[in-house]
Formats: sequence, structure tokens, C-alpha cells
Amino acid sequence: MSTPVPLAPPTWALKVEGLGRIYGDPSAASLAGTGPEHGTAVSPATGAVVAAWDVDFDVAPGEALGIIGESGSGKSTVMRCVAGDEIATAGTIALRGVDAGTTNIRDLDPSARRRLRLDQISAVYQDPAAGLNLDVSAGGNIADPLTAIGWRNYGRIRERAAQLLSRVEVPLDRMDDPVRSFSGGMRQRVQIAKALANDPPVLLLDEPTTGLDASVAAGVLDLLRGLLEETGVAAVVVSHDFGVIEMLTRRVLVMQHGRVVESGLTDQLLEDPQHPYSQQLVAAARG
Amino acid sequence: MTTYPTTEMPSTDTAVRRTDRLAGPAPRPGIFDELSKREIRRAVLSGIAIPGYQVPFGSREMPVARGWGSGGLQVTLSLVGQDTRLKVIDQGEDAGVNASNLRRLVVGHVGCEEETDTREADVIQSRHRIPEQPLQDGQVLVLQVPGAEPLAGIVKNMDEQRRMHAEADYSKMWVRLYEDIVHNGLITNAAGYPVLVEGRYVMTPSPIPRWDVPKLNHSEGVTVLSAGREKRIFAVPPHTLVEPLTFEDRPFEVERTPGAACRLCGSDDTYIVQEPGPDGTFSTWVCSDTDFCRRRRAGDAPEVTALEAALAHTREESTI
Amino acid sequence: MRTDITMTTTTQPIADADTGPAPGAVLSVRGLRKDFTLHTIDGRTVGALHGVDLDVGPGEHVALAGTSGAGKSTLLRCVYRTYLTGSGHIWFRTETGESVDIAALPDAEVAQLRGHEIGYVSQFLRSQPRRSVLSIVATAGVARGMDREAAHDAAAAALRQVGIDEQLWDMHATVLSGGQKQRVNIAAGTISPPRLLLLDEPVSALDPANRAAVLDLIARLEETGTAVLSVFHDLDAIERLATRVVVLGGGKVLATGAPEDILRDPSLPLEVAR
Repeated sequence: MSTPVPLAPPTWALKVEGLGRIYGDPSAASLAGTGPEHGTAVSPATGAVVAAWDVDFDVAPGEALGIIGESGSGKSTVMRCVAGDEIATAGTIALRGVDAGTTNIRDLDPSARRRLRLDQISAVYQDPAAGLNLDVSAGGNIADPLTAIGWRNYGRIRERAAQLLSRVEVPLDRMDDPVRSFSGGMRQRVQIAKALANDPPVLLLDEPTTGLDASVAAGVLDLLRGLLEETGVAAVVVSHDFGVIEMLTRRVLVMQHGRVVESGLTDQLLEDPQHPYSQQLVAAARG
Repeated sequence: MTTYPTTEMPSTDTAVRRTDRLAGPAPRPGIFDELSKREIRRAVLSGIAIPGYQVPFGSREMPVARGWGSGGLQVTLSLVGQDTRLKVIDQGEDAGVNASNLRRLVVGHVGCEEETDTREADVIQSRHRIPEQPLQDGQVLVLQVPGAEPLAGIVKNMDEQRRMHAEADYSKMWVRLYEDIVHNGLITNAAGYPVLVEGRYVMTPSPIPRWDVPKLNHSEGVTVLSAGREKRIFAVPPHTLVEPLTFEDRPFEVERTPGAACRLCGSDDTYIVQEPGPDGTFSTWVCSDTDFCRRRRAGDAPEVTALEAALAHTREESTI
Repeated sequence: MRTDITMTTTTQPIADADTGPAPGAVLSVRGLRKDFTLHTIDGRTVGALHGVDLDVGPGEHVALAGTSGAGKSTLLRCVYRTYLTGSGHIWFRTETGESVDIAALPDAEVAQLRGHEIGYVSQFLRSQPRRSVLSIVATAGVARGMDREAAHDAAAAALRQVGIDEQLWDMHATVLSGGQKQRVNIAAGTISPPRLLLLDEPVSALDPANRAAVLDLIARLEETGTAVLSVFHDLDAIERLATRVVVLGGGKVLATGAPEDILRDPSLPLEVAR
């Protein structure tokens, strides 16, 4: 018996190819007449919403990729499809941590897909309530992913939770307080700590500072930037805010009406945007 | 009146005989028909085949209110025959009002034998206790379950509860235990302590005290748990691993009151409860299991209680 | 007119550079064109560079000169890929000896080069988090492959050299003055010097004493073999640091030569403070 030559693992941690998500008739008939050149994501033929189509990107360990666009551009849909909160209509999503990137995780059954969320891919949502149980203590929220992968030692769970909370600068004397009693910025920090609990190789951030006061948002951004630099996690940052994208990412995709209209290095996109829509966004942000 | 077109049917005689064969003996007049009993037995068998898994069943109307043992009653009725010796207890007591009524109902309906001696009973229906006498091969313990779903207080959505069981996703249960220790210093679940059955399903063992929980592990008898209101049956077959959920560094402990012993038999190795004195205060203790207490006094009870036997077994297992 | 100044759009020492940098060069720019299409302003196109050729070798400091709007900063930004190139090549020889065209390289690979091999220092400290001054400089060292301890020591040395008071090291960079920020930026840009360093008016906001300290620091880069491409507003800096000056005008190379020759040529359109 010959031993198969093992393939070199990919350099990316997450790779997305031809990702699409259509609400309504998923057939090709829904595509015509949608996209930036038609100024709509709604199919004139079928009425389906082509929320995202033909989205390609990859992210390397230690790298952060931004997705920017107005609400309704499809950026959050892309994130939810990658996270597994939604099932993509088309495309391939591969993680280096899953069969060295050879498996399309879109094909996994829902339960296997959910298991990936424990230690392969984590998400931080705009609304902390989406990622946390507000009635449970900060430590308890972190205990959730830890016990899910089999931690059964109370002392060690508390140690790990304390370590994570101090990393995100939540005072340890708040560790046993219900998250509901926390401020917005503090809740977001707990959500970040929970997302990092099992050291996932891929982290998805959906508008992580939207809705926070400017000074609080700045603090959370500082924290995220430090974490991205230190942990070597591959991150996808979805935001409508160039400030967030500029602070956290090196590369960025611009989405409009469900399509990627431009991609580039973040500073290049800000200094020398090519697509009319990107120029509009930058002009508005700089305005 | 509408007339329907008729088709050629096989002779009525044959048809009747066929249904006879299908349905078993002719139905007895009364509260429970044979087909219903058969459905219950099927659910019990499914439960035994998948230890700890909650099997849905078509809970019937019983002449007791739901929540008063209607689930246990249906299982008992489907298991007993005329030659069965039936023991029914409520909080360990054969003479409790609820126990007496249920026993009278079954005996009157089936014509089986009443029994109070745990050793002699074939079927033991119980509310809130497992006898101190170790169960033997061939005995069936039927526990009445007011709430079958261990996840009920943790997630409200029943689809989500089912998904969590299907995927053995019990982290939220563990978070509950974690929070309990954080806020109370210990896991406060007193009755119905959650257990993991055969390493797979988390189950509530009905509101038995912690004292009785270890007895489920590697029991010689069969335990069937039935919730009439929630229409679920689940079971622990003999020699099944049943572990109370707890953290490695927070060992599971049973209730004990140092220095307390039964006023009647003097036992301090049985589950004892406080009784009201003539002055209305609770200062004395008695065995909850009245049969065992009586036999202890008569010198007719074993040295080793079911709990001690179970704990000895668990220790032996953990040293292997 | 002096004979060692060539008034052409092609400069020497240009060798054939169709597939990589000219022999011995770290950076070879060939036929670089860049214009901007402004979709938000009736779609008009503004030309910036109209075919620029340029080489920078290891240890060489090439200063760009010319009037405002000549395309100096545009050229630097094209090399750093902050601007996309219209046409032409920007050949770069990597540490491993590989030739890459920055104009056509995938974004992710450009990002890699930026971390390790190409540095860019402008007068602005861009989008830095509220982290300590010392950690900003040390992080730049770690990005270029130093281990944390070595990066920390090197960062301390660099900050000392650019005259940042030790009391400021653990403060957030956001509270610093413009001149202090600029010096922190220089320290971060020159720690564990990259193969190619792009300097865009790095001393414009500094007082004379600090300016001298920073110029000293840049002068010492020559010894490390770093190739430097710079834009300075003042003549003294060019004269002191540059090994060669390239004069741009109207998006083209007007002249190239030694600083002492170029800077004294009254015929060249130089907008520098003398």
C-alpha cells in the first residue's frame, strides 16, 4: 500500500469562493437584473433578493480583512453565511482547521456546522445580546464554550475566564455579576472574551463597535487591534464605518447591492478608490 | 342520510378474528384498554433501548389528575398482571394518601396483589423516593415524574431542547451548575439532580433526593420514569452508568445531617426526615422509607443499604 | 550646462528591467503611469505620472525633487501601493532574491512585504491605537521579525535617539504633539530597517534640534544597506542625505544626478527651502 503524499496545508485560515445567498427563488433566473450596474439586489424576474453573490476572499492567520458597504449591501449576509447563522445558496467556504481546507463546510450537516463554532470559528455581533446570555455572569458566559468542548474543572474554568476577562480589561470584581448589569462597552468586551475562549483560528466581527459611544468604541477598537496583532487569529471585520476598517484591517472588500465592487489594501482603498461607489463612500467618510 | 358505495369485504368472521389477534385479549371494561397498554410498553421498551432518552407517548386520561401520578399509573397498569405483586409509595411511605389511592385503583382494576415489602414486590411505583432496600434483578421501579425535561429551566424553546439532546450539547446545563456554585457556593439542586445516562443523555431522575441518585447507577432493577402531563417516558435499564453532573473539583454529595438518626429504628444510614412533635416543632427524625424502617426494627433488613452498595460499586469502578 | 546631468526621461544606470529590478538594484520603476478618475466629479481624469523610470540600490538614498504637484508623493505612494499603478512596473527584489512587481502583486503579498521589507514614514502617525509609544515602536520591530525582547530594547534605543523623553514612553501616542508623533513614526519606521524605506517629508514638523537628530538617524541607514527613496522639502536634508537626486516635473523625470550638481543647477524647477 502506498502512502498518499500529504498536501501542504493552505496558507489561508479561511477561504470563501463564489459565495451567494438568495432569499426567494434560488435559480439563475433571479440573478439577471441585479447588482450594482442595475442599482438593486431585487430580481425583476422572480422578486428574489440576491443578498450576496460571487463573493471571493481568503484570510491568512494574523491577518484582518474588512468588508465595507452600506446597510443592505450584503456584508452582514456574507458574515452570517460564513458563521453558519445562515445557509449560503452557493459557493465554497473552507477552513484550514477542517480537513486542511479540503471540506466545503457549507456541505456539513447543521450539527457538525454548529460544532465548528466551538473552537474553529467565532463571531462577535453588534448586539452583545446576540452572543451572550445577559442573565448569566460574565464568567458563566465564558464557561459556556469551555464546557462545550469538555472542560469539567470548576477551578480551571474560573482561571481561564479570569485570564480572558483581564485580557479584555473587564475588572475581575465584575466577573460574577450578570452581564445585564454591564455597560454596552463592557458587554462587548465580555462578548469578545467569550469568542476567544477556545482560541479559534478564525474570528468574525460584525459591526463590533456600532452603537457604542465614541469614546467607548475607541477603547473597544484599541482592544481589538491589540488582540488581532497578538493572537494570530484570522479576522473578518464587517462594518459600514471606515474608521473601524482602517483601524483593524489591512485589506478590504467593498460591497454594493450584494456584489463585491472593489477589493484592495485598506489604505489604498481610502487613498485611491477606483469604483464610483467606493469613491462615494470615501468622500462621504472624509466629508 | 348519505349512502356510501360499498366494496367487497372479507368475511366479517375472519376480520374480527384478525383484530382479536392484533389486539390481544378482549378489552376489560375499565380505565385502560389493551392497545393503549401496548403502546405504553412499546414506549418503555424504546426508553430501555436508548437509556435516558425521552420517548413521547400518547398519555391517556386517567382517573387521577395530571401531576398526581397519571404517568406512573399508566406505566404500572401496562406492566402488571393478576399475579404481579405491586408496591406503591409516596415519599417512601406505603400508607400515604396518594399511594394508597393509586394502589387501590390498580389492584381494583387488574386484580393484582398488594405488597409493601420491597423485596417481594415485582413492580414498585414511587413518588420522590427510591427504596433503601437494594433493587434486585427482575424488579421494576416506576417513578412518577412531574417534569421530564432537565433543560426546561434553561432554554424555553422545545425545539432547542430537542436539538440540544440530539447533539449532546449540554454546555448551558453546565453553565447553570457553574452559576449555582458562583452564587451559592455549591450546586443547590436538591431534588431531581441532573444525571448523565450512559455518557449520552442528560436526564432528570424525577424529584428524588440526592440521597437516591447514586442508586440509579448500575442498578440491578429497571427504572422507568413517566411524565403523564408532558407525555414522555424514559428509562434506565439494569447495569447502566448514571453519573450526577458535577465538576471534577466539586464532588457530588448526598444529604446528611450529622448526629441525626431515626427515632424509631435508630438508623443513621437511611434517608431520614424531620417529623413534627406534639409542640409543633421539628426536632426528631424518622426514616422516610417506612417498610425498611419497620424491617430494621424487626431485624429483617440488610446491613448494607442501596446507597452504600451503590457508592461501594462506584468507588470500585473509579479505582479500576 | 554640466555634462553629468542628463535631461531625459530615462535615467541611468538603467539596464533592461522587463522582468525584475536592474542588476544590483532593490527597486526599479519602469514606465510608471498614474492618473486619477474622479467619478464623484463628473468622471474627469487627472494625470499624475506619465512614464517614470527610476532605480534605487542597497544603501543608496535617492531623493525626489521638483515643484509641488510634480508627482513626488504620488510616486512614493505607488511604490508603497497606497495608489494603484495605471501602467508600468515597480520591480522589487525581496530578501530571498525574488523579483516581484509591486504594481501587479496580489494585495495579500503586498501586505506581507509592507510588514517585513518595505517601510513608509510620512509626517502623520496614521491610525495608531491608543497604545504606549514604546509598544508602537516595538511592534514594528516584531513585524519585521525581531523577537519581543530584542524589539523592546531596539525600540528604547530608537526612541532615545530621536529624543523622545523616557517619561513619554508609556503614554498613548494620541497625547503627543505633532513633532513627537513624527519622531515616534521615524523610530518605528527605522527599527530593524527594512530593505526599502520610503520617506515622505519625515522632518517637516520638527524643530531644528530634533530635525538634526532624525537626520542623523536616517544618515546611519546607509550603513545597514537600506535603500531609501525620499521626499524632503528642504535642500539641506537632500544635500546631506541623498546619494542621488531625481527631479520630477509634470509627472516625468526631468533630471537625475549627484545632489551637489542637481541642487546648484538654476535651470531645474526645484521648490525647496534653501
